[in-house]
Amino acid sequence: MEDEASGLFRRTSTRTRKVAAKMVAALASSDNRTQAALARLEALENDNAGIETIEINDDDEASLDEDEAYMKRQSKNTKRKTRQAKALENAKKAPRTFLELLQEANLESLPSHVPSYLKAAVGPPSCTSRRNFCTVCGYTANYTCVRCGVRFCSCRCQNIHNDTRCLKFVT
Amino acid sequence: MSNVVVLDNGGGLCKAGIGGDRDPSAVVPNCLGRPSSSKKWLVADQLQACEDLTSVSLRRPFDRGYLINPDLEKEIWDRIFRSLLRVDPTASSLLLVEPLFNLPSIQRSTDELVFEDFGFRSLYVADSPSLVHLYEASHRPDGLISRAQCSLVVDCGFSFTHAAPVLQNFTINYAVKRLDLGGKALTNYLKELVSYRSINVMDETFLIDDVKEKLCFVSLNVPRDLQIARRPGKDNLFRCTYVLPDGVEHMKGYVKDLDEAQRYLTLPDEAWFPSQGMKDGCAEVPEKPEDRKRIDLTKNEFNLTNERFLVPEMIFRPADLGMNQAGLAECIVRAVNSCHPHLHPVLYESIILTGGSTLFPRFAQRLEKELRPLVPDDYHVQITTQEDPILGVWRGGSLLASSPDFEAMCVTKSEYEELGSARCRRRFFH
Repeated sequence: MEDEASGLFRRTSTRTRKVAAKMVAALASSDNRTQAALARLEALENDNAGIETIEINDDDEASLDEDEAYMKRQSKNTKRKTRQAKALENAKKAPRTFLELLQEANLESLPSHVPSYLKAAVGPPSCTSRRNFCTVCGYTANYTCVRCGVRFCSCRCQNIHNDTRCLKFVT
Repeated sequence: MSNVVVLDNGGGLCKAGIGGDRDPSAVVPNCLGRPSSSKKWLVADQLQACEDLTSVSLRRPFDRGYLINPDLEKEIWDRIFRSLLRVDPTASSLLLVEPLFNLPSIQRSTDELVFEDFGFRSLYVADSPSLVHLYEASHRPDGLISRAQCSLVVDCGFSFTHAAPVLQNFTINYAVKRLDLGGKALTNYLKELVSYRSINVMDETFLIDDVKEKLCFVSLNVPRDLQIARRPGKDNLFRCTYVLPDGVEHMKGYVKDLDEAQRYLTLPDEAWFPSQGMKDGCAEVPEKPEDRKRIDLTKNEFNLTNERFLVPEMIFRPADLGMNQAGLAECIVRAVNSCHPHLHPVLYESIILTGGSTLFPRFAQRLEKELRPLVPDDYHVQITTQEDPILGVWRGGSLLASSPDFEAMCVTKSEYEELGSARCRRRFFH
């Protein structure tokens, strides 16, 4: 009983909190890596990996054109409200990604016995060890880059890795 | 006499035809593409006919296997129905194949597309595993699949892979397991590897698709094959060269030496004796990728060695890619284990492989090799491959559409108008 009571007055709480903050920072730095890994997996589902920047430019041009057309129409004194309403409608109709739709469907709220997209996922492997392949040449990799955590197999590959994609978090 | 349009609307390829036919009359990419040389977006079959497919930018109506952009899909369907099939939607029914666990919002927009934009007379929505089962069961009337009326369909498609048990023509939906890896991710992975190691091909989706289809295969013994892949010169059974199109003489890329590319088939199938494979590998002095430099720079070409089998390898071990998901074999075991124990032996004995990504050579052999240790000793493992895995689902749909009571199973346009989407959907048990 007394032990418990004294436990209540222990002053360790502030100190542990400080340590925890450091831990959080440390975790965040390693989280960079997991986030990079996730981003990379995401990139595997991309349609146009290399052209994306051009796509954006295209969109800009298109929107510029629209703006110009819009200005012209405005100068001709057409109905302004309907245009705005249309723009709003278009924004509503703009295709959303599957993940957004999934979030919207709110499948977590379904009772546990109902099969859904989320429950059909196969889940983590039973054997957690992963084989490591060198990101430079593809053979079995025994070493890890100390800066970004990417695997490589030899000195030569390490040099190539350092020169090309270290800290770029691509693989 | 009205006709039924059967449409297997996949994320990669759209298979469309008239119910009752043996083969679909249109198998076209389900996307819009714009080559760098033109300003116009090409739709579906125009893309196939297009000469110059370098740096095509793509727009797909599908994201992660689900239809997210109905407007885009409408353009593609329009092209398919009006120019390729030449049918009148208002006078025909539609059998549409939808992915499993389609979201309600997507179902609603699909219904809108079918009834309001195209005005089909009636609609039947099917899922792919049950259609594959139907086709296989009627294809081999005395086989186990048709006698037991149950099978395990492994559909390894463009966006994802499903292991789905089917019983009495119904997919057992609570037992379905999904692996988020399919042909698209594999192509993108190969793209990434080639771009880093030799030539930047990040924009060349169609080209790398072709490379993947022609050169990739599944390894039966990865450590052994890795050893072989680093041998120099002629001993390296895996090295092969792919020539990029130059835009003058040939517009399509091609494999430089087909015999060279096929050499891996001469390897003995020592799937069951992995130790033997190590023996001949050990004698070799490991040679680093210097040989890559021997590429003829006057031509645009690149060499592939270990990439050829490390890419499909990801389906069996997604963890290697940093994915927190189990491999295909474990996926199958989990799907079976979610079913009633009485079904287990039958399911293991009637595994059907379908989907384009199962076309990699030796896919079935490798799957059996991985599956055997995970399955109890007294059960048989029997993997059936379809003669055309890409069209398997469509053929099942064609069979279903030609059955006499098909019309009775459909939701008609008037029913849809009266009851709305959600009510009508209940009929399909989704």
